[in-house]
Amino acid sequence: MKMRVNRKTAILLCLVLALSLVATGCAAKKDASEVDKAADTNVIKLGFLGATTGEVACYGRPAEKGMKMAIDELNAQGGILGKKVEGIYEDNKGDNAEIANIAQKYVTRDKVVAMVGDPCTGLTKVAAKIAQTNKIVLFSGGATGTGVVDLGDYIFRNTLVDKNAVPAVVNWMVNKQGWKNVAIITSMNNGYSTALTPVFQEALTANKAKIIAEDTINDGETDFSAQITKLKKVKPDVLVFTGYYKEAALIMKEAQKQGLDLKMIGGDGLYGEDLMKLGGTAVEQKVMYYAGFTSDGASAETAKFIQDYKALYNEEPDMFSAQYYDAVMILAQAMESTKSTDPSVFKGYLATLKDYPGVSGKTTIGADREPIKNPVCLLTVKDGNFRSLMELIPVTVK
Amino acid sequence: MFWQQLLNGITLGSSYALIALGYTMVYGIVQLINFAHGEIYMFGAFAGLFLVTVVGLPIGWALLGAMAFCMLLGVVVERVAYRPLRGKSSRLSALISAIGVSIFLSTLMVIIAGTNPRNYPDIIKISNYQLGAVQFSSLQIIILIISAILMIGLELMVRRSRIGKAMRACSQDIEAAALMGINVNRVISFTFAVGSALAAAGGVMVAIYYNALWPYMGTMAGMKAFCAAVLGGIGSIPGAMVGGISLGIMEIMGVAYLSSSYKDAIAFAILILVLIIRPQGLLGQKIVKKV
Amino acid sequence: MDAVLSQYIDPYFLRIILIIGINIILALGLNLITGVTGQLSMGHAGFMSLGAYTSAILTMNYGVAFPTALLGGSLVAALFGFFIGLPTLRLQGDYLAMVTIGFAEIIRVFFLNFEPGGKAVGLSGIPQETTFLTVWGLVAVAVFLNARLLSSRTGRAFYAIREDEIAAESCGVNTTRLKVTAFVLGSFLGGLGGGLYAHYMFYIDPQVFNFTKSIELLNMVVLGGMGSIPGTILGAVLLTILPELLRVVAEYRLMFYGALLVILMIFRPNGLLGDVRIYDLKKRWGLGKNK
Repeated sequence: MKMRVNRKTAILLCLVLALSLVATGCAAKKDASEVDKAADTNVIKLGFLGATTGEVACYGRPAEKGMKMAIDELNAQGGILGKKVEGIYEDNKGDNAEIANIAQKYVTRDKVVAMVGDPCTGLTKVAAKIAQTNKIVLFSGGATGTGVVDLGDYIFRNTLVDKNAVPAVVNWMVNKQGWKNVAIITSMNNGYSTALTPVFQEALTANKAKIIAEDTINDGETDFSAQITKLKKVKPDVLVFTGYYKEAALIMKEAQKQGLDLKMIGGDGLYGEDLMKLGGTAVEQKVMYYAGFTSDGASAETAKFIQDYKALYNEEPDMFSAQYYDAVMILAQAMESTKSTDPSVFKGYLATLKDYPGVSGKTTIGADREPIKNPVCLLTVKDGNFRSLMELIPVTVK
Repeated sequence: MFWQQLLNGITLGSSYALIALGYTMVYGIVQLINFAHGEIYMFGAFAGLFLVTVVGLPIGWALLGAMAFCMLLGVVVERVAYRPLRGKSSRLSALISAIGVSIFLSTLMVIIAGTNPRNYPDIIKISNYQLGAVQFSSLQIIILIISAILMIGLELMVRRSRIGKAMRACSQDIEAAALMGINVNRVISFTFAVGSALAAAGGVMVAIYYNALWPYMGTMAGMKAFCAAVLGGIGSIPGAMVGGISLGIMEIMGVAYLSSSYKDAIAFAILILVLIIRPQGLLGQKIVKKV
Repeated sequence: MDAVLSQYIDPYFLRIILIIGINIILALGLNLITGVTGQLSMGHAGFMSLGAYTSAILTMNYGVAFPTALLGGSLVAALFGFFIGLPTLRLQGDYLAMVTIGFAEIIRVFFLNFEPGGKAVGLSGIPQETTFLTVWGLVAVAVFLNARLLSSRTGRAFYAIREDEIAAESCGVNTTRLKVTAFVLGSFLGGLGGGLYAHYMFYIDPQVFNFTKSIELLNMVVLGGMGSIPGTILGAVLLTILPELLRVVAEYRLMFYGALLVILMIFRPNGLLGDVRIYDLKKRWGLGKNK
């Protein structure tokens, strides 16, 4: 008896499904023709890559704001080559399959000329593959890890690349500060962290520092008591932590709890308002990180950007908003200079970019298409804010 | 260092134990892995935060308030997602429904509170004490004392009170209990309420002690606590306590003396081994399969 | 071939249709284990990751041809399916579910520490060998063999185990052997899907195959219809297309998934097309023609 009911439902459902498929198909065709029409009109489209929900949304949200602001400014000045600029914003939730679908959609349905993003290295690689295959420029405002621009000649980024920044930072801490006994903690389920640790290890060995302890944690954990108890025994001069700000804050908090006076140094993964919120006094003047952007920077462009950003969003811009802003502006300049919206043409300009005075520092694209950003800012937490500690000269690794 | 690590393990383990109690009580009575239990623990932590920061209650009252809120939440979840299934569908359906509730609740909190981690304001003055080589804080002592009070209270309630007797009856044979005039639905609701309240207490204390709470905190904690419950013998209340604390100690010792890379795997490896070698757990009773 | 197709169909749709195919293969595997045989597996992503990593490492580091690598990945997954199937001799229902979760977690942690797999960074630059034809060709083969299997003596025995294991055993069904068989076959398909996924996405990392992925696959089987091939296909199609359509309300998507599971379990515990066989559909369509 039950079977029969099921069969009826089955047929009904199959019908509904078939219909809906046909309907989507039709809708798609219509959309496609609309897109073709849109491609003829005077609109230049840029696709946003980033997560605005999910666990890495804290990087994507400011990035989206920076990009929107840049596009609004461009349009207020009459757009690029007299054409209106339109940003398309899809949320990839930090998911590989999702960003692949979105990149494909940007390419074939929205017909973007370039994609901007993603803040995360792994996700950028997925989108970069699609961008390269379809000959669309991808300009990342956040991916700092290795192996990104190697994916093809349409792939660019304007971040402070770890392998340039770390030697400068390590040189400062070992030779200027005399911190020779170093402990390293890596977050094992964080690709950024596992990629950054070897860079630090290499630089530390080159500077003849002693790595006296190596330990691991996982993102999402809260209990670091065992690791800190171990560190307490060896008393390192400084702890290199290559993960993100949340775990950094909790590690420092645990050290404070156990009465261990610990200094921490790391990459721009430590950047995040939550570092101070969660860490409180435990991170004050103890956590340092390097980045290509500081909000108390001296340059006039940066100051104006910060002021405008605050006026617009009522919050401080961060590194990602600045780098996405720059990425859009650099793309605009490339299109203006080459008088072309064809990615295969304006990518040539990007490849030879020299000393672009962006709000996130000066950017030069080197011969290996890797960006060289100047300066490396070393920041620390002071009075609950990130403050510039000093500026270092980046080391170019050939 | 060993004694310090042992203390670290006991502190971590007591948080597992508080969550494990809820699993074990519910499982003992309705044979359901209440997957949403970890999310109730998370809601407890957030409810406490809300009461402290928005309403401005002192922490003691906020703890009680969070427990009361989660009691209600636990009962509602049981009413909406589990009761309609009871008796009619397979246990598989009930389990899948529980997973559904778990996903629903954690996403709901993401929408309410966002994904960024939060923390309690520094409300408790923490002072450190030294005993030989071991250093401990006033917070640790408070947490251990509250956990102990709650667990002993629970054990007394189950052993001595009328409703406790009814709970024990239901866990032995739910149909026979119903025939004896026990209002089974009420007992089940009560079980969910008590289990959820304990989870809420655990949530608030963990969030204060480890200084962070976020919407996904319940998933892993819930699974670990379930491993703890199985380790101790599911259905057994002392078993949940023993299982929770031993799991905490094992994890910390694993990090301290082996490798911290495999920390998450330790709990599950123990779970699988226990289930294969001694399915009734450390303190559980052997259940014979009945037709 | 793909280039020809993309002249007529928008590559974006082509991509989604291809992913639907991969999901159908994955879900068919899980359907064999959970839908047909009734052994709740919540770690299907674990099998998927084994297939993905094995085949990717084979093609990238050892220059093995794609079809051989795909087969290798599936066989490794099947081998692990055998080992996970073994505890089912002693465990049932919820306990088994926990073991499968634990297994998938251990696999994930293993790959996080696995040097040749690139640890947390994952593997990128996997040759993009998976084409539209490979996927849908394999879907056709998988559906055909699945249908043959389920209408065979063995297939009926699978259903019998799900309905009542003890009764099945007393009717002479070798439940032990069959449960393990179901696990081996299901995980083989899981590994196959994983291999296809890796060679299509070109990039994999351990976090892709997390608990959420397992639940997503379980959702496909549960939504479409437990134990039904057309149902599983329907589930895979719906749950691949829906997220694309629901992109505007992305925040609420997971909440919707959770609620969907609960509602389905209450009103249609066997899913939309519970236990509907291809044969039933054919018969019905045949009747339609005769009219």
